[in-house]
Amino acid sequence: MVLEVTAKTADGKEVYNKERHYHPQATDCRSNKMLYGAQFKTQYIRDTSLQPLETKAESFEIMLPDGVRTVDVTVSLRYEIWKPDHKIEITSISKMVSLDR
Amino acid sequence: MKFLKLFLVVFLVMLPISAFGKKAKTIEELAAMYDSSSCKECHAEIYGQWEKSHHARSLMGVLGGLFMTPLAMKGKTPFSPDSPDKATLDTFPCFKCHLPQAVTSADDAFAVDYAKALLKQDKARLGKLSITCIVCHNTKAIIHKKSEGHPEANVLYGSKDVAKHEDAKFKTVKKSSIMDHAIMCGQCHGMGPNLEFENPVQCATLYGSYQHNYLSKGGQKSCQECHMKKVDGVADHLLAPNWNDLEATKKILQEAISLDVDMVGYDWLLKSKDHKPMVVVNTRINQNAGHRIPDG
Ligand code: HEC
Ligand code: HEC
Ligand code: HEC
Ligand code: HEC
Ligand code: HEC
Repeated sequence: MVLEVTAKTADGKEVYNKERHYHPQATDCRSNKMLYGAQFKTQYIRDTSLQPLETKAESFEIMLPDGVRTVDVTVSLRYEIWKPDHKIEITSISKMVSLDR
Repeated sequence: MKFLKLFLVVFLVMLPISAFGKKAKTIEELAAMYDSSSCKECHAEIYGQWEKSHHARSLMGVLGGLFMTPLAMKGKTPFSPDSPDKATLDTFPCFKCHLPQAVTSADDAFAVDYAKALLKQDKARLGKLSITCIVCHNTKAIIHKKSEGHPEANVLYGSKDVAKHEDAKFKTVKKSSIMDHAIMCGQCHGMGPNLEFENPVQCATLYGSYQHNYLSKGGQKSCQECHMKKVDGVADHLLAPNWNDLEATKKILQEAISLDVDMVGYDWLLKSKDHKPMVVVNTRINQNAGHRIPDG
């Protein structure tokens, strides 16, 4: 599961891109390298997955470059199943945010 | 002599499938022992759902990938034999959950046949093996073997007793103590590392998540209540999500997971006279499953 936040200027230039990855992560305990594959995985070292009956809250602070006062922000959540191209976009929310009133 | 015969008959009738007759030595023999095609005639709806499920393709669930192949290849995994001829049941710890009938009803000759088929990527043959109706309704239907005995050869186990069941082989259905309980699924859906093997194996851990992080927060639904809701009057055996059906799975995920977003833009006063143009994006994600998403 990947949450991706991007901000683009009016002319489409990307000024911000951050991802958060939500899934349990394992090693084989013989090194600190994270591994896939049931035949190697031995122990989770970290678990960022979405837990039941719990809210996963994040806050992203986007510092805008000089001269940029308006950006198009997109937040999308997708499930990556296997190969990177075998994935499902669950939702995507876009909004124009301006610092000027 | 007559007494002995009678004794033998009674003894045989009471034997579990696992000990019934010889152990399977080939893919075809094991497939035949657990063949569930006879169920189709009367349980057409359930059979149709099951056929599309991951349980019906438990050796190649996602896009037909034969994920045990590295285990048959020399040097690729800690379990790999030097050649497929040397494969044994221990080569494939995955059978515990992906093909439990291999553990109970096959021997090492089967493992050799299986390893060779993997190296050939012979999906037609390997596709004959799966978690069939009989695996859940017989092999995995009894966990209290000391109290209740092993599953019997000609008996199915369900959520109720059926004294006269019309199937040619399985003449009765007995009520299983666990069919409507989460542990029925927990037998294979994993609690953590499997440490009974010579090297650790960790795949599904979802049942651990259910037990320790769903029940603990007051969640009380069983796996069956969420995953096997009645469709046209029968318990849904598709057991979605089906990861090969992206459209249907997208719907399930959209119902299960919600994303809530708030944004604000302002000039943040970092320190005196130093305003920084900033946009803040706050996200909150909730999900309504009975376990972590994703698992494993
Ligand atoms: C000739 C028809 C027929 C065949 C073949 C058949 N069944 Fe059934 N089965 C039935 C009927 C009818 C019932 C319901 C009996 C009742 O409700 O009293 C039943 C009941 C069951 C039940 C119990 C239902 C419950 O509520 O738990 C299970 C489990 C079951 N069958 C599994 C199977 C499996 C697995 C196969 C294949 C190996 C199979 N059946 C083959 C007709 C059949
Ligand atoms: C404790 C039981 C268990 C063991 C042991 C186990 N698995 Fe699994 N595995 C599962 C379950 C249940 C799923 C499906 C649920 C899920 O994905 O969360 C699964 C899913 C998978 C998947 C993803 C589905 C697919 O078809 O691509 C792969 C790959 C996999 N297992 C490989 C292995 C391998 C290789 C081994 C042996 C080294 C193994 N598993 C051992 C229970 C197990
Ligand atoms: C005999 C072992 C076994 C039992 C019992 C079992 N499962 Fe599974 N289940 C598996 C395996 C193995 C897979 C994955 C097969 C694959 O895709 O390669 C799977 C796949 C699934 C999937 C598809 C999603 C996914 O990630 O693969 C769901 C949902 C599921 N099982 C739910 C259940 C529920 C609910 C029960 C109890 C009613 C249950 N299972 C009982 C072994 C089992
Ligand atoms: C992954 C394990 C699993 C497999 C495979 C499986 N079943 Fe079931 N089946 C269950 C469970 C668990 C229940 C009880 C559901 C409940 O309590 O809601 C059930 C219930 C049933 C029932 C009772 C139906 C009802 O609506 O109450 C029948 C009949 C049945 N199964 C037949 C079959 C047949 C036929 C197949 C093969 C095509 C099959 N099952 C494969 C686990 C399985
Ligand atoms: C409160 C309802 C609920 C309960 C209880 C529940 N599930 Fe789920 N489960 C879901 C939903 C909704 C999804 C879909 C989200 C997804 O695909 O990950 C899901 C997804 C899954 C998956 C796919 C996991 C993945 O990695 O994405 C498997 C396998 C599964 N459940 C098995 C089980 C088993 C086994 C149990 C019992 C131990 C169980 N579920 C209990 C609602 C539930």
